[in-house]
Amino acid sequence: MNMLDEDRMAQSSPSACPPPTDTPKLRLANVSKSFHVPRGEAIEAIKDVSFTTLENEVCVLLGPSGCGKSTVLRMVAGLEQPSSGELMLDGCPITGPSQERGMVFQAYTSFDWLTVQQNVEYGMRLNHVPKAQRRERARHFIELVGLSRFAGAYPRHLSGGMKQRVAIARTLANEPAILLMDEPFGALDAQTRWQMQELMMSIVESANTTILMVTHDIEEAIFLADRIEFMSRHPGRVHEEIIPSFKQGRRLRHKEELIGLAGYGDLERHILHLMRAQGGEDFEH
Amino acid sequence: MEVASKSSAYRARWFEFLTPTSKRWRLLLGATVWVIFFGLWEMAVLWGWVNTLLVPSPLEVIRTLYELFAERGFLSDVGISIARILGSFLVACTLAIPLGILMGSFKTVEAFFNPFVSAWRYLPAPAFIPILLMWFGTGELPKLALLFLGVIFFLITLIMDHTSQVRAELIETAMTLGGQRWQILWTVVVPAVLPNILTSMRQMLAIAWTYLVIAEIIASTTGIGAMMMRARRFLHTDEIMAGILIIGILGLAFDVLFRWLQRVLFPYLDQEGH
Repeated sequence: MNMLDEDRMAQSSPSACPPPTDTPKLRLANVSKSFHVPRGEAIEAIKDVSFTTLENEVCVLLGPSGCGKSTVLRMVAGLEQPSSGELMLDGCPITGPSQERGMVFQAYTSFDWLTVQQNVEYGMRLNHVPKAQRRERARHFIELVGLSRFAGAYPRHLSGGMKQRVAIARTLANEPAILLMDEPFGALDAQTRWQMQELMMSIVESANTTILMVTHDIEEAIFLADRIEFMSRHPGRVHEEIIPSFKQGRRLRHKEELIGLAGYGDLERHILHLMRAQGGEDFEH
Repeated sequence: MEVASKSSAYRARWFEFLTPTSKRWRLLLGATVWVIFFGLWEMAVLWGWVNTLLVPSPLEVIRTLYELFAERGFLSDVGISIARILGSFLVACTLAIPLGILMGSFKTVEAFFNPFVSAWRYLPAPAFIPILLMWFGTGELPKLALLFLGVIFFLITLIMDHTSQVRAELIETAMTLGGQRWQILWTVVVPAVLPNILTSMRQMLAIAWTYLVIAEIIASTTGIGAMMMRARRFLHTDEIMAGILIIGILGLAFDVLFRWLQRVLFPYLDQEGH
């Protein structure tokens, strides 16, 4: 990601954000992964997954549970190895976890022993960012997620949504090339959830980040995504790539706007059909 | 206090599911059981239900305890016992904490040490007393060694288990933030497991007292246990009981100390009473 530039950040209005470019940021080519079970036979969890995410794009991996979307994300993070295939970020192969690919998990990952400020500074501390710069950058991102009042608080005083905001600020402050999110709002209640989704959109606008996100929430995917990779299961592969073109490349700030747009209902219906076709094995009628 | 305001509408009951009691009430109840215990004991002595040679009255025991400290230099015995506990426990901890953390963090380290450590855990430490006496004679060393052996292997296992339970997401978060192996060990694993290590130490210190008394009763001329064995020879049951009393008090004091440390060192945790 670009180096943080306080002045530009402060001046940038939502409309001034550069739209997704044509530069490929992340590229997966024929990625497969099989697990070995104790009996000896290998189970193919992911098969021939290929897709490309462009710079400054929000790409969502959507699909029924068990389709391996989290496994794909974890391979991008470098936390798991593919059995075959290629994963490239900015043209370089992914060989392990790195600061370039910061991940936000569904489970809360705030460090209990650090304050909000220290939590957000943590990644930069690992990477030896000078203290003054660290403090300043942390302050900026804490403000971005609306937690300035809680900078000195320990995580135990925070609600679930606030803990996720700390995790997002911590990852962004570390300046990753791509932000990975594994069902980041899955543990939150409905109201906090859409507030967080709207917050995400404002962050995307002001921080120019490429995001790869996993979810099984259709509405969330349509609201956030510039590109949706719909995955099917047994084995997990990309079933369909969906561009929510009805948004006309615009990024929405409020969920109400989404519901008002022509084409939203059709897309949601389409994805629901895909989901239902995939869920057939679990829900026999 | 909250309870009082509600009591106009709700019937206050002594036994109620899922209802906490006030702190003052808890203290009162906790003290009452001791009053009853000592009361019954005193009554048994006063009304001649027991042989006072074998069961001295509680007041007698407390008087003896005072005498022991004031006139017979019992403080040095107590001091020696505490020094033995702390000395051997300190050595055990300096070994067990790093080893337990490494075993809990890295499967390779666990695979190497754990078969050895688990095997020792099933050997009762007192089984080594005869050989320890042969090796180290009658000085301080055999006592320290017994305490060390009695504690170390359990401590390693407890710390290892706590360390391996540090949540994977915390470690993976640090990895995707660019953390190197040792950075993550120091800045995530260690701080995450530290409160549990302190709890393990508190639990194992209680076990250490058991081995201390065994060591002092069997092979020592100094310390609380040795004093009690001397008293037995002269049928001084009041002194034996004073010894038991002081061991209980010291054990409790260390427990309180550890709980205090827990609060002071880890203020960010949700402690009871919040």
